[in-house]
Amino acid sequence: MRNTIAIARRELRHYFSTPTGWLALCAFLVITGFFFVLELRWYTMESMDAAYSPYREPMDLGAHLIAPFFGEVSLILLMICPALSMRLFAEDRKQRSFELLLTSPVSTTEIVLGKYLGGMAFAGILVLSTLHYALLLFWVADPDPGLMASAYLSVLLLVGAFMAVGLLTSAMTESQVVALVLALVALLMFWVLAAVGMIGTGPVATAFAEASLFSHAEPLGRGVLRLRDLVYYATFIGVFLFATHQRVEGMRWG
Amino acid sequence: MIEVRELERSYGEHLAVRGVSFEVARGEVVGFLGPNGAGKTTTMRILAGSLGASGGQATIGGLDVAEHPTEVKRRIGYLPEHPPLYGTMTVRDYLCFAARIKGVDDPASAADQTMQRVGLAGMGGRIISHLSKGFQQRVGLAQALVHDPDVLVLDEPTSGLDPAQRKEIRDLIRALAAGDRTVVLSTHVLPEVEEICERVIIIEQGLIVAEDRIDALASSRRKVRLQVGRPEPELTAALEAIDGVEQVEDTGGGRFELLASDDVRAAVARAAAPFDLLELQGRERLEDAYLRLTAGAPPDPRWRDDAEVQS
Repeated sequence: MRNTIAIARRELRHYFSTPTGWLALCAFLVITGFFFVLELRWYTMESMDAAYSPYREPMDLGAHLIAPFFGEVSLILLMICPALSMRLFAEDRKQRSFELLLTSPVSTTEIVLGKYLGGMAFAGILVLSTLHYALLLFWVADPDPGLMASAYLSVLLLVGAFMAVGLLTSAMTESQVVALVLALVALLMFWVLAAVGMIGTGPVATAFAEASLFSHAEPLGRGVLRLRDLVYYATFIGVFLFATHQRVEGMRWG
Repeated sequence: MIEVRELERSYGEHLAVRGVSFEVARGEVVGFLGPNGAGKTTTMRILAGSLGASGGQATIGGLDVAEHPTEVKRRIGYLPEHPPLYGTMTVRDYLCFAARIKGVDDPASAADQTMQRVGLAGMGGRIISHLSKGFQQRVGLAQALVHDPDVLVLDEPTSGLDPAQRKEIRDLIRALAAGDRTVVLSTHVLPEVEEICERVIIIEQGLIVAEDRIDALASSRRKVRLQVGRPEPELTAALEAIDGVEQVEDTGGGRFELLASDDVRAAVARAAAPFDLLELQGRERLEDAYLRLTAGAPPDPRWRDDAEVQS
């Protein structure tokens, strides 16, 4: 555990010692700010419209502002996470610094977990940087705290899955660009699975929806906490971390 | 301290290390030599635990490298050819990190002590990528030492350094080798090996071709070099007539190289004196022994240049 924490701390500090980390943080804040203002403006206009129209249902803060906003945050993170995870193994191997970890009394599990947790810690900071939007909503309105917590949990679970995929692609190559592209392609495929699952019918569409990362985040975003979704994410992350472990172990034989 | 038995390592079809066996006693400083691609780095990486062996066994202090990797890594310090540095970290942060993952109880004080030891005192706050190559090499050496290992494995620690930096690192290694620390040193700079090491192991195409003390290895056959002011044809005949001389080669500029089965220095001096003898060297250098033992392998231009700088 001590080694895992040491490696995670080093990875986290690395993000703040290079422009990449600061750039990712700035880009994330600007883009999420833009989408928050857009969603808030749309919600305000629709609320006013609904208030003056006897035929319309009143607007729901959770369903019409919080859920769509966090859906957009998830998509932004789908683009950003591969850029965060691409360096975790690829950079180390390219710069030969990985030899330090391989020749130190550190197990492969500790290396994989340390790098994953380091990347996750930075991604978690990105997610938590949206807290001021939530506080703003609590200040001006009365959102359901449970729904808000559930929405954050859904984003964190998605980020956990994004980073696990990115960690594996980073371990597969010495090129950060290749790792980035592979992770993006893989994540977009999971996104497409969700879309096919939503528009299609029958058992194939259901299977696609079940396999997709996003289908399992949707109920959480609405405040519905289901054990099967939590098990799905735990399994998904576990499988990718195990595959990364096997890949790193294989490096001693490659 | 180090025991290697029939060690093998293949990369696909290619067998890089083919049944290598050797031993290194505690406190011994051994040079590990061989042309590029001979299997030196592969063997060293197996010892350091960053590479698995396809066959055979390697033990450090009685512990099998494959079966007890964690315990072995606590006892070994490894400096690869390219120091494993994190360029964005400061020297002190990097060494603290290295000490922490190497299981040192007090990483901060271990980092400070090691910086003192390798001549990095006062440089703890410097960013590693801003340091010169010589200082980066010191940082690399410091990470190998930070947990005070019994065994130090150094893979070309002076590669790419200028002569002054090379001398600094060489002096440092000599100081580190004092006491009962076991050191395995791989380098292409043969005079460096003669200066630091007691014994050499020469590997060629994945096989050990020689393993002996430098004195024994270098004097197993006599090579005499001489330079005269007047290189006349009669000299060659006079040299060839000396009892024990097997071969005489005129290398130009009044220089001759003789291969002899015995110590023929006195006879050569007498024969060459009438031709204005300027210089006589009578002991085979490690370089000659190395070339003889690795004959057939493409010569590596690096060590030849380095050797000239050193001599």
